[in-house]
Amino acid sequence: MRKLFSNPLVLIGFIIIASILLLAIIAPLIAPSDPDAIDVKAILLSPTSQHLMGTDGLGRDVFSRMLYGARISLMVGFVAVGIATAIGIVLGAIAGFYRGWVDTLIMRIVDVMLSIPTFFLILAVIAFLTPSIWNIMIVIGLTSWMGVTRLVRAEFLSLRNREFVLAAQALGAKDGRLIFTHLLPNSLTPIIVSSILGIASAVLIESGLSFLGLGVQAPQASWGNILTDGKEYIQFAWWLSLFPGLAILITVLGYNLLGDGLREAYNPRSSQH
Amino acid sequence: MMEIKHDQDQLVKLQFIKPAFMKLALIAFFTPLMISACGDSSSSNQIHNKIDYTKNYPPNNGGTLIDAMTGEPSGLIAMIAGESAASAIAGNIFNSLLRYDKNLELTGELVESWDVSNDQKTITFHLKPNLKWADDQPLTSDDVLFTWQKVTDEKTRTPYGSDFKLVTKAETPDANTFRVTYAAPYAPALDTWAGLHILPKHLLKDQDINTTAFARNPVGSHYYKLEKWKNGQFLKLTRNENATQGQAKIGNLLSRIIPDKAAQFLELSADNIDSMGLNPIQYARIFPARPDLNKNIALYKELGNSYTYLGFNLKRKPFDDIRVRQAINYAINKQEIIDGVLLGLGEPVASPYKPGTRWSNPELKPYPYDPNKAKALLKAAGYEDHDGDGILDKDGKPFTFEILTNQNKEREMTGVLIQRRLNEIGIKANIRVLEWASFLGRFIKPKEFDVVLLGWSLSLDPDQYSIWHSSQQAPGQFNFISYSNQRVDKLLEAGRLELNPDKRMKIYHEFSKILLEDSPIVFLSAGYGLTAIHKRVRGISNPAPPAGIGHNTYEWYIPSAYARNEMSEH
Repeated sequence: MRKLFSNPLVLIGFIIIASILLLAIIAPLIAPSDPDAIDVKAILLSPTSQHLMGTDGLGRDVFSRMLYGARISLMVGFVAVGIATAIGIVLGAIAGFYRGWVDTLIMRIVDVMLSIPTFFLILAVIAFLTPSIWNIMIVIGLTSWMGVTRLVRAEFLSLRNREFVLAAQALGAKDGRLIFTHLLPNSLTPIIVSSILGIASAVLIESGLSFLGLGVQAPQASWGNILTDGKEYIQFAWWLSLFPGLAILITVLGYNLLGDGLREAYNPRSSQH
Repeated sequence: MMEIKHDQDQLVKLQFIKPAFMKLALIAFFTPLMISACGDSSSSNQIHNKIDYTKNYPPNNGGTLIDAMTGEPSGLIAMIAGESAASAIAGNIFNSLLRYDKNLELTGELVESWDVSNDQKTITFHLKPNLKWADDQPLTSDDVLFTWQKVTDEKTRTPYGSDFKLVTKAETPDANTFRVTYAAPYAPALDTWAGLHILPKHLLKDQDINTTAFARNPVGSHYYKLEKWKNGQFLKLTRNENATQGQAKIGNLLSRIIPDKAAQFLELSADNIDSMGLNPIQYARIFPARPDLNKNIALYKELGNSYTYLGFNLKRKPFDDIRVRQAINYAINKQEIIDGVLLGLGEPVASPYKPGTRWSNPELKPYPYDPNKAKALLKAAGYEDHDGDGILDKDGKPFTFEILTNQNKEREMTGVLIQRRLNEIGIKANIRVLEWASFLGRFIKPKEFDVVLLGWSLSLDPDQYSIWHSSQQAPGQFNFISYSNQRVDKLLEAGRLELNPDKRMKIYHEFSKILLEDSPIVFLSAGYGLTAIHKRVRGISNPAPPAGIGHNTYEWYIPSAYARNEMSEH
């Protein structure tokens, strides 16, 4: 751990993510008002001590909406990546462990999926579904497992013929035991790294979808749809675009710093450490 | 009447558009998926900013008027396209037999005069002599007959056929006379003829009107003809030398397709377009804060002939219960919507007619905001919060439903306000925002909805048979909320037959009264049409006459001293 945090960027990333998580968790305690409370007499007020980030076109407090929006954005990130990672581990493990035609089949499916630009694939799928936060999570999860699959397969292929695996096999260990007690634990590091980076892109995708009106639906707040609302007023209500934009930027940056730092730290070929 | 085309604001549309074709057009607003690039704010704008636009110049010909439209027309045969973007452009290219003048009185356009027989069943139109199409072919009563045949043809995919199918006999005694006979007197008859664009028989007689290339390459008889249509970019109209109504002053009309209102506004600020329809925020918040824009751009505000409403699917429970509908009506604060969403740029409505016109019943007032009354009505209908979860329920089922609306900023905000108010009395409403085409195709036409948030844009004639008559409920017809009331049916039938304006007025006042009481829809508001036009454009009537500023666009002119340098890419 000390080695990890010796890299200041990782520390920064960690602090960013931890504080955003904390803010999201305690949102109901610190939000100055109900995020959906409308006040048509107080529309588009600029930031003041009463409304830290101003108010939007319906007089809702942007700071409160940002806090609740953080919950949505982070939850989408975690659940979507959870789904993607689970699929990726299963398929990658099967491909890497059994090799042969199963491997070929799975990897060709991965290639096909990768050949379609993810965002457009998601747009196409969402068009057939009711836009809702759960559908968004599932769709992002189901369309971003390919990277994990490749990683797990590659790890398995390289670990498969190591002495400790062969020894376990010679001792009569079954496939399940080989996979779960020997191969998988030794492949976890790259999986964690890619998951953290995956969260960043899931947050970004959710924001993009909500910005296009296909994500989280009104009146629920997410950073993406606060940003869309702000687009209309950008000429004179800068706070509606600036804060959600910054929040997305900082969160994605945080995950990327953390993910990259972890990769560096655990990369055996990395000369620095 | 020439038309200009701002298609986002429901409100702007009306005055500029041939009324009958706009009748019953569901109002779609197009919200873009992407902010379109709007880079080329030309270097010329610095120069323009220094020009003094207050000098007076006499009218002259020439120049180009550039405006912005949010959607691209699917074709320029209005009866097929049936959408506002198409009607707006086509109205500059095609004539109708009649038109409305600036005081909204019917007057001849292609016809010199018309006679109505004593029994009120036959109308004879006398065309002006020597009319010509833009391609120099003569325009005769044959073309009119041909157009009538097309609009009533079962094979023609048009929503406007039913009005013309009431004509039992159409004939052309000579090249300048067209006569129609109705089975019974039909009060909206002349209004319908003011909305039908006359099409050239010589170009269309062997064509399938639904798919013909003519829709993208039209030949008309009005002030302008289509010079160039660049997909997704612009339509350029240029003066028609054979125009039947004389020559318009402005030489070219360029309509740029810019889907995003914010992007349109940037183009207006950069002086790349002359005119656009504004939304309330742009009008009430941005303009007052930008003296540089106010110096060069004039704003116009006029009440449109349209309204926004919340409509119930009366075939679904519990909306078949009048107490539930009235309760929801009481629970919605309409003034809050006018203040918050329209920023005060709207009027309350209590009937499906434009406030202040003769058809609008002055005695009717909207349901006041009264949540206690709403709760009492719901209680009477059996809805109470039995399980204490904050949501009313009846027979163990919570009162929850979905409000459908189309992608449009103002609509969505209205939905959120309504949702909030309903939540306060214990009704849980979810909002679902849909893209216009799938909204119509998947939900409205098959009547698959609980509640819709929509708008109606209306014609000048008060007949609303196709919206409210119980016979108009088939899939794809306009009574998609399935409203059925025998008294209303009788009044609507009587209104079509009644030719005395005062008696007709009483009929529609009575109809409006029943409608308000029955509450099949909640009338929300009528918004103002907000238009910005650059001050280089002159000849605009101010104050606007009843027909709106668009009534005399053929008289508008751009003094040559103010004409912009033609942009090379067009």
